[in-house]
Amino acid sequence: MKRVAITLALFLALARLHDARAQTARDLVGQGVRAYRALEYDAAVALLKRSLSEDAVGTLSTAERAQALTYLGATELFRGRRDSAAIAFSDVVLLDPRYRPDELIFPPQVTNLFQEVRQATKTVALSVPPVTELRVRGDRFTARVFTSSLAEVAVTLARDDGTPVRELYTGPVADSLAVTWDGFTASGTPVPSGRYVLRVVPRTAAANAPPARQVTLDIDQRTPDTLPWPPAPTSPALLPERTPAGPAVRSLAAGLVAAAAVIALPSIIARNSGGTDARFAVGAAVGAAGLVGFITQRPGRPLVQNVRANAPQRDAWMRRVEQIKTENANRRATVRLVIRAEPLATAERTGSPP
Amino acid sequence: MRWVAATLCVLPTLASVTHAQERATFAFRGDAAGVWLRQETAPGVVQQLRGPALGAEGRVKYGPLTFGAGLIEGRLDAASGGTGGEAARDLVEGRAFVAARALPWLEVSVGPLLRAYVTDSATERWVVWQGRARVDAPILTARLTSFVELWRGLSSRVTFPPFLAGRVQGGEAGLVYKPPRGPLWWRLAYRVDDALLGGGPGGSETVEVVTLSVGIGR
Repeated sequence: MKRVAITLALFLALARLHDARAQTARDLVGQGVRAYRALEYDAAVALLKRSLSEDAVGTLSTAERAQALTYLGATELFRGRRDSAAIAFSDVVLLDPRYRPDELIFPPQVTNLFQEVRQATKTVALSVPPVTELRVRGDRFTARVFTSSLAEVAVTLARDDGTPVRELYTGPVADSLAVTWDGFTASGTPVPSGRYVLRVVPRTAAANAPPARQVTLDIDQRTPDTLPWPPAPTSPALLPERTPAGPAVRSLAAGLVAAAAVIALPSIIARNSGGTDARFAVGAAVGAAGLVGFITQRPGRPLVQNVRANAPQRDAWMRRVEQIKTENANRRATVRLVIRAEPLATAERTGSPP
Repeated sequence: MRWVAATLCVLPTLASVTHAQERATFAFRGDAAGVWLRQETAPGVVQQLRGPALGAEGRVKYGPLTFGAGLIEGRLDAASGGTGGEAARDLVEGRAFVAARALPWLEVSVGPLLRAYVTDSATERWVVWQGRARVDAPILTARLTSFVELWRGLSSRVTFPPFLAGRVQGGEAGLVYKPPRGPLWWRLAYRVDDALLGGGPGGSETVEVVTLSVGIGR
């Protein structure tokens, strides 16, 4: 219990420390912005630099860091330090190529310099949804590629061991581009489950070429269950379609037993009398009737009326089977992929420039 | 013979009248039969006779019970195989019964059987109370049916020495055919009745009848 209490207390203390640090960094940004607005540029630079210092790394969000850097660049510009301003703006572009300074807050000389720096700073960014579930052949996975300026890029998918899977896009990106993927490999089969890397590689040999970006995708291929076939119609839902053996055998037995009785009655009833031979004719007639009954109801004979009466049920069952066959074929062809994206990372540039 | 002729004339009329009845059902049949009689009056003294006969039977089914009566008449002449001395005689046999169907395939009945042999000089009369059990087995649903019936005498009297019969029993088996169209049905049967006179070795009497019948009604 004591250990648990100590661990809990430490955890709470660390959490408070993190919150306090984040609060401090945010406060510093706020104080720097207020100093900028009060035209106290030296104080603003000091405060903003402190907020972006090493200690504050990780405590500010990307948007907060971009805001702090923008105010820092604007402050440096108004202090007459254009190079420092350009460095700050370059950091903003590298941080988030989509970021633009608010033109209602910053004057044109700030936004113009930002645009110049943005054009000069080559960078790419990649954005994918954290979790995507798609049906191959039906849905598409979408990744967005952002560039700070016109750039030639190649978007590829490879296994995490580097084996190429498919090239998704090769060409220019002026600002942003939505790259879609149908879940298939280059050979046209759905990708198996595994870890893959989606990579954006700038295709330029320039020294200031931006770094490649990549995101690891954890892909889980799920084959849907197929439907069971409906049970075949059987008796008693269906009328029997062939004569059973029972009635025929019973008919034969009824005839033969009665015939035997006719022949055997004198010896059973009247032991002193041999009986008249005429009884054999009667017995033969009765036995023949039993044979006729057996032949008339012989087993396995098709019952046409019952076959006709069963036809609608049988046809309905066949239609249902065909429907399920079609549905199962569709299901087997419709593989589902669950794609989970890990955080974006900067990659080594392995692609060869054109 | 006049009895039989009169009954046969009346049967179709009665059948058509009773056809409309809802609660009771009627059935009648006319029989053409061959009769074989074997009498052993004393050890080694056997008389054998045979001859044709005509008969009729009517049944009324009322609820669970069936009431019926039948009559057969014929002329018996001496046949080969006897020890001689056979006198031709008339055969008259009447029967009344009440029956109930204990199971769908089993009918039990009880009633008296009266049989008379009339010669120029004497008349031998038999009165036997019978208990019967009959099993019906369909061959082709209800259209073609076989049956086996056994009976046993519950009590008996005979107007011929020794005046008391001993074991009296019999059986009948055959088939009934009801064509799919038409009201008539056909029946072919073989029957044998046997009696030990006086319950000992004094004598016996065996009657065999092969009957071809045509009937109407249910």
